[in-house]
Amino acid sequence: MIPRPLVYGGILLAALALIPLALIARARVTTSSEPRIQLIRDMGRQPKFKTQSADPMFADGRAMRPEVAGTVARGERHANAAFWTGRDADGWVTAFPVAVNDALLRRGQERYDIFCAPCHGLAGYGDGPVAKRADALQEGTWTPPSSYHTDLVRQRPLGFIFNTITYGIRNMPAYGPQIPASDRWAIIAYVRALERSQDARIDDVPPELRRELR
Amino acid sequence: MIPSGGRDTFVFPRWTNSLRPVLAAVLVLVPAYLVVLLAFGGSPRTTAIGYRPVQPVPFSHALHAGKLGIDCRYCHNTVEVAAHAALPPTQTCMNCHARIRTTSPKLLRVRESYATGLPIPWVRVHDLPDYVYFNHSAHVRQGVGCVECHGRVDTMDVVTQVHRLSMGWCLDCHRHPSQHLRPPDKVTVMDWVAPEDPVTYGRQLRQANHINPSTDCWTCHR
Repeated sequence: MIPRPLVYGGILLAALALIPLALIARARVTTSSEPRIQLIRDMGRQPKFKTQSADPMFADGRAMRPEVAGTVARGERHANAAFWTGRDADGWVTAFPVAVNDALLRRGQERYDIFCAPCHGLAGYGDGPVAKRADALQEGTWTPPSSYHTDLVRQRPLGFIFNTITYGIRNMPAYGPQIPASDRWAIIAYVRALERSQDARIDDVPPELRRELR
Repeated sequence: MIPSGGRDTFVFPRWTNSLRPVLAAVLVLVPAYLVVLLAFGGSPRTTAIGYRPVQPVPFSHALHAGKLGIDCRYCHNTVEVAAHAALPPTQTCMNCHARIRTTSPKLLRVRESYATGLPIPWVRVHDLPDYVYFNHSAHVRQGVGCVECHGRVDTMDVVTQVHRLSMGWCLDCHRHPSQHLRPPDKVTVMDWVAPEDPVTYGRQLRQANHINPSTDCWTCHR
């Protein structure tokens, strides 16, 4: 007969061998705040800087460096004042410096829904979810976003609206850094369309379509 | 014949004969055990899924993207034009939080970063190895929704990795992309469902938009 201690030892080893399996099974159904263990690293972590990575060499810890003051990047010369600032020699521009077509309006609608609708609402009444939440939280310093459907906003020159998107106004922050200039013009075109949609008379509708509105 | 030597002659005791079948079983079971351990433990399902780092600011996607319904691209605004879906600068947080919840201790680090200009050290959740070149814009513009790789981020208070993001996982989709495709203007809609059978619908999109994902090595390893 096999000696008893050897038998018990074997059973114990077999039981212990189940522990790693149990730990693995547990790791598969729970979350962990630690990154994965990489036994074989290959070149998964290379000594190079990728987009938005950290570099302790610089005081602010960023590997990506801001533009050097006084330099102009390619494509950033901003020669066309009307397009880049909304102003020309006569003040605020009142005509679009880009071609207004179906593609521009669709682009404007998409960008409006991303960047503007959170506060201004999908129809431009100033009733977006963020504005509603600020109301619900009773934030004292919150100024409600303007509705576009007032005579004041409807009469604003295009360039003035461009300037407002770029640099912000009152409560509204500057969206220049977040939205490229071409998209800002697309958004303005869509805002003008929104304004007309809420300020239309029956005469604006082609006679053959009027029946559908009844 | 067993030599009948003196005390110093080593002789296996008789019980060792019954060890032979046990030994045979051990020789089979131990390597099998090690194979299972490595495959089970080293699988990306074990190592990658469920990574949920603690972030410096308790930002909730469930509130911002879910309840408020802010589009992914409001913050990750480079995703359609760049390889990298940018983490927003602190300025983007302050767009709203300059006026909302201005005294919240949870936002202390955001205000601190805004005042000092030092970035918030967000921890990257979905991190591919450095030898992989992944381009967000190439996927998003062809109609691969955010949810396909990142899961329902709009329901997560703390972002957790829900997919393997391993090479086999990438190739599954590159070989059979149809059921993962949607119209490109619906990529950020987290609860989008295909209007008909996803495979048939995706196949139509593939043909219409000429989507033929490559499975060449150098597509991702360059």
